[in-house]
Amino acid sequence: MITLTDVTKVFPGTQQPAVDRLSLDIAEGEVVVLVGPSGCGKTTTLKMINRLIEPTGGTITVAGQDVLSMPAFELRRGIGYVIQQIGLFPHKTIRDNIATVPHLLGWDKSQTAARVDELVDLVELSPEMLDRYPGELSGGQRQRVGVARALAADPPVLLMDEPFGAVDPIVRANLQDEMLRLQSRLHKTIVLVTHDIDEAIRLGDRVVILSEGGHVEQYDSPGEILRDPANEFVADFLGTDRGIKRLSLIPISEIELDPGPVLSRSATSAQAKEMMARYRIDWALIGDGGTIEGWFQRSDLGEHPDLRLVATRRYHDRLEPTASLKEALDVVVSSRTSVAAIFDGDRYLGIVTIDQISREIVQ
Amino acid sequence: MIIAHVIAQTDEPFVRWDWVGRNLDNLWAATKEHILLTVIAVGVGLVLSLGLSLIALRWRKTYTPITWVTGVLYAIPSLALFAFLVPITGLTLLTAEIGLVSYTLLILIRNIVAGIDGVPEEVLEAARGMGYTERRLFTDIQLPLAMPVIIAGIRIATVTTVGLVTITALIGQGGLGFFILRGLQFFSAIGTTQILAGTVLSVALAVVADLSLLGVEKLLTPWTRRRVVG
Repeated sequence: MITLTDVTKVFPGTQQPAVDRLSLDIAEGEVVVLVGPSGCGKTTTLKMINRLIEPTGGTITVAGQDVLSMPAFELRRGIGYVIQQIGLFPHKTIRDNIATVPHLLGWDKSQTAARVDELVDLVELSPEMLDRYPGELSGGQRQRVGVARALAADPPVLLMDEPFGAVDPIVRANLQDEMLRLQSRLHKTIVLVTHDIDEAIRLGDRVVILSEGGHVEQYDSPGEILRDPANEFVADFLGTDRGIKRLSLIPISEIELDPGPVLSRSATSAQAKEMMARYRIDWALIGDGGTIEGWFQRSDLGEHPDLRLVATRRYHDRLEPTASLKEALDVVVSSRTSVAAIFDGDRYLGIVTIDQISREIVQ
Repeated sequence: MIIAHVIAQTDEPFVRWDWVGRNLDNLWAATKEHILLTVIAVGVGLVLSLGLSLIALRWRKTYTPITWVTGVLYAIPSLALFAFLVPITGLTLLTAEIGLVSYTLLILIRNIVAGIDGVPEEVLEAARGMGYTERRLFTDIQLPLAMPVIIAGIRIATVTTVGLVTITALIGQGGLGFFILRGLQFFSAIGTTQILAGTVLSVALAVVADLSLLGVEKLLTPWTRRRVVG
């Protein structure tokens, strides 16, 4: 969908190219994140795609068309653009802000109005915002308007320059989730620039790790990059916790669950103690097949010969199989039982232990 | 000094209201002339300033020379300017307006350029990134956003011009200045009355013009008043 071939940018008055013969292929419908330290040319690269920065050399094509083959303003009307500071027009209402590109393209009024309503719905803004000015909105709301505005003319390609950089961490996480939700519906080709490797891992189908001069150090899926960094630069950039970062990409359903210390009511106390010894824990679950009644501690056994009358506690720390191993790890280290129990709805599937998680980190 | 002298010497009332009553038509005519002189001066000044500002914004190096030249014009004493112009253009409206217009340029150009420069960089980047042409960017984005600063300039220029018009009475184009000038020639309450009438009306005109422009600004920039903190 987007192809960069030997793209070079030398800014006037400098010797060192900001971007030096960069080649990149971005497939239709994927989210590619450009990430790297400051000065790596990621923003320059992004802005060359919509010609806010004119390349010095090389070719860039979008949907098979050379970006230099048409006037810049025409190219840009066909590419969504979101920037960190959002850049809403303070003198226009939210409605007019969202309608910017349809307006530039000369859509008729009813078509534009219908599209604005659709977009407000899509980015989950309340319609009463439409007649307000940007100055009256919160940072998160403005960000949504920025995205709605970029999507207004339904461009196949979206360029995002640090889109979530200006909002606080909680709002950022929400907006990231929302972007993923939107993308799963819209299947745009998105190029996103960030300096935040965690954001890159979270949002990217593929991640480009750039070093100074727009040099591609690695271009792969986040999972692959974390599992097998191409070189020391990449490994350093990922940080020492890359094993744990990788956990956030692996859903629990991908590993084989341990059946867990499950005992039926008819089991004897001796069997229960044997089970606890095997797992090197001092608790067990009572249940049958796919249902779990609850859990009990070794001390709950008391003088009971079997489990028939043992009181159980409800199991709170449950996870769905779609949750990530990172979430499982959180539960493992914070729960009293030191494991994460996995439930599909009410059906018990098994447990995740710290051993299983560390095996995944080592891999 | 003259007024004080006159007051001390006579038993006449300070203000001759009968003169005011007899001259209502003349005062109204002079007020209209005053307004016309001001509107022409600010209007022509605004057009010239917009043109010069566009040049200054397009070619940054011209900004310093432009402010230098208009600054010199602004600094020339008005009496001297008219004395210099009359031999060339005569005791005409043109002479008056050349003077008046040249005094508006510095204020207007400075405010137009400052207003346009004050438009946030990210707004421009977003606009360009979405496909605004440079011309449309100027008319749709830069100019409206610069409006509060530009109108602030127009207000100062207008108030200044209203005051300056009284001086153009010296070349027979004075609006309300005519009464002030003539009043100075009478050592009587008639004189005082004329000076006061010209002055009060001129000040009133300046205040009304300023408030009207403030109203225009509020009308043109509704977004500046609706802001929620946080």
